Amino acid sequence: MNASSELQRAGLRKWLLFWLLFLFPIALLSPLFGASGEVQPRITLRVIPDSVLVGDRIRCLITVHHSQKEVAALEGFDRSDSLSSHSFELIHRKHSASFPRSGAGTEEFELELAAFGRGHQPLPPFTVVFRDLQGRVTERVPYTSSASLFVRVLTDSSMRELRPLKPPLKPSIPSLLMMSVIAGVFGVAGMVLLLLFLLKRTVRKSAEQVDSGQVAQRKLRKLGSSLSAGMPPHECYEELSNIMRSFLENHYRISALEAVTQEIERDLKKIGVAGFESIMNLLKQADLVKFADCHPDVEESRQSLKKASEVIRSTRTPKSEG
Amino acid sequence: MQHAVELEELGEQITEASRFIEHAQEQLSQRIIGQHEVIRRIFIAMLVNGHILLEGVPGLAKTLIIRTFASAMNLKFQRIQFTPDMLPADLIGTMIYNPKDMEFYPRKGPVFANVILADEINRSPAKVQSALLEAMQEHQVTIGNQTFPLQEPFMVLATQNPIEHEGTYILPEAQVDRFMMKILVDYPSYDEELEIMLQSATTASKLPVMPVVHLHDISRARALIDRIYVDPRVQRYIVDLVVATRKPGKYGMANLEAMIEYGASPRASIFLLLAAKAHAFLQHRAYITPEDVKAIAYDTLRHRIRPGYEAEADNIKPDDIIRQILQHVQVP
Repeated sequence: MNASSELQRAGLRKWLLFWLLFLFPIALLSPLFGASGEVQPRITLRVIPDSVLVGDRIRCLITVHHSQKEVAALEGFDRSDSLSSHSFELIHRKHSASFPRSGAGTEEFELELAAFGRGHQPLPPFTVVFRDLQGRVTERVPYTSSASLFVRVLTDSSMRELRPLKPPLKPSIPSLLMMSVIAGVFGVAGMVLLLLFLLKRTVRKSAEQVDSGQVAQRKLRKLGSSLSAGMPPHECYEELSNIMRSFLENHYRISALEAVTQEIERDLKKIGVAGFESIMNLLKQADLVKFADCHPDVEESRQSLKKASEVIRSTRTPKSEG
Repeated sequence: MQHAVELEELGEQITEASRFIEHAQEQLSQRIIGQHEVIRRIFIAMLVNGHILLEGVPGLAKTLIIRTFASAMNLKFQRIQFTPDMLPADLIGTMIYNPKDMEFYPRKGPVFANVILADEINRSPAKVQSALLEAMQEHQVTIGNQTFPLQEPFMVLATQNPIEHEGTYILPEAQVDRFMMKILVDYPSYDEELEIMLQSATTASKLPVMPVVHLHDISRARALIDRIYVDPRVQRYIVDLVVATRKPGKYGMANLEAMIEYGASPRASIFLLLAAKAHAFLQHRAYITPEDVKAIAYDTLRHRIRPGYEAEADNIKPDDIIRQILQHVQVP
């Protein structure tokens, strides 16, 4: 019983080995046999992207698998009437072929199309023409794609999408550096303002220190000298009026240079100045010479200058005298 | 100090000749309370043959002032109420056909008087305004083919209401320019109003105003005013003020350039000088000072300056512009 079963097992092993040795090469060679046989043409279509704005371009990739003994060509995209009815315009086309293994070939057609219209637009149908190596047409395969393209019209929102608002430019200078520069500028400006303020205060203080009475007295002395040197008396009165007005303007802070005598009189009355009568007499005398064609003599002019000098001395404040 | 002999004599004559003004003012003060400046301006205009545009709300005694002024001055007074349906013939007169003689005779209109009160002048259309303004300018009126000179003195005092503009015909700038002064009649003070109320709230008839002036007084005063001395400095000051309304930037008032659409015309310089002379006459002076010019500058210039858009937007009135000009232009 054991011997017969061992014989049966040995026979089975031989049988299995035989089948292994026989079937393995067949399994290995079977694709080659298949390739050398008839290859059925296969067409695939891919559209990138599947949604565009009107006028945008799409890429249409058509891949044709066929027998090595044939070449493929596309028909339908070249005819404008075919495309125009489908709102597409052919812009550019590219063709490449490859033969990865014997007996089969792959050809790729890359088409660039401009899309028009609006909404879902079906892709245009086309025909793949197969020719043998002698150039004879062996087969024509019409192809209608079930895929479609969605074309969006231009609206405000799509325009914005088309030309998106640029994000604000980031400064090329680091913000820390910018901050320090700004702080520096403000610091310098502050310093300049402080300097100007100090300068102005100094100038004002020095101006206050200059006594308007002293200035007027100096001018009166100079005018007296000019009168002695032969200055016409009416010119002397005109100058005297200007000196008095400048003095009143600086001393009492009233606008005496742009005011008429009556206005000065009103202002001085309000302030209540010492020597009011004398000041007004001098100004009125000067007005007579200036506007009423009066002709004072030299002695009268000298007396008026003396009176003006006394008036100014009497109106000086104790501070300025000190 | 020696005055020019001529001026000294003229000063005395002016003091003598200006007495009638004081007498007339006395008469006016019996009927009019307050409004001294308005009365003073009316005398100034009368003395130099000027016309006045009065602007003020109703009830400020504008008509009463003018009527009393005419009575005191012994002048013929006519009040013309301007209405939209008025015709030039209603003002100047027209030719009337006499069937007896089979001829046309001129019938003179109310414009033939010494003092005309053109009440609410802006209520009548342009052709009626033009007829009056032509009479003001030419001192004569043409009816049919006959020209009639107007009686001297001839003075028009036109009134305007500043608050009512509906249904009015605004006086064109060219016609407003013919008025020597535009006077703003303001409300009386509290005390003045109290006095007005007590004096007017009575049924008793008022005392008549005595005519205290003769025509020759006015003629004499006018002749003396023509002789008033104007120093070249004052002449230049007047021109400076008027030019400053046109080119304020030249006088250091660049901020006013945009505020003024157009400034005062040369007529302003003429009226400014004439009014300053009359002002000096009322002060019994034989010469003008800048004070005289300043005193009448507002009334003489305010209707001759047109504020620009910016001034209107900032509510800047002609008086504000004049104030700034007077403060900036140096007094001689």
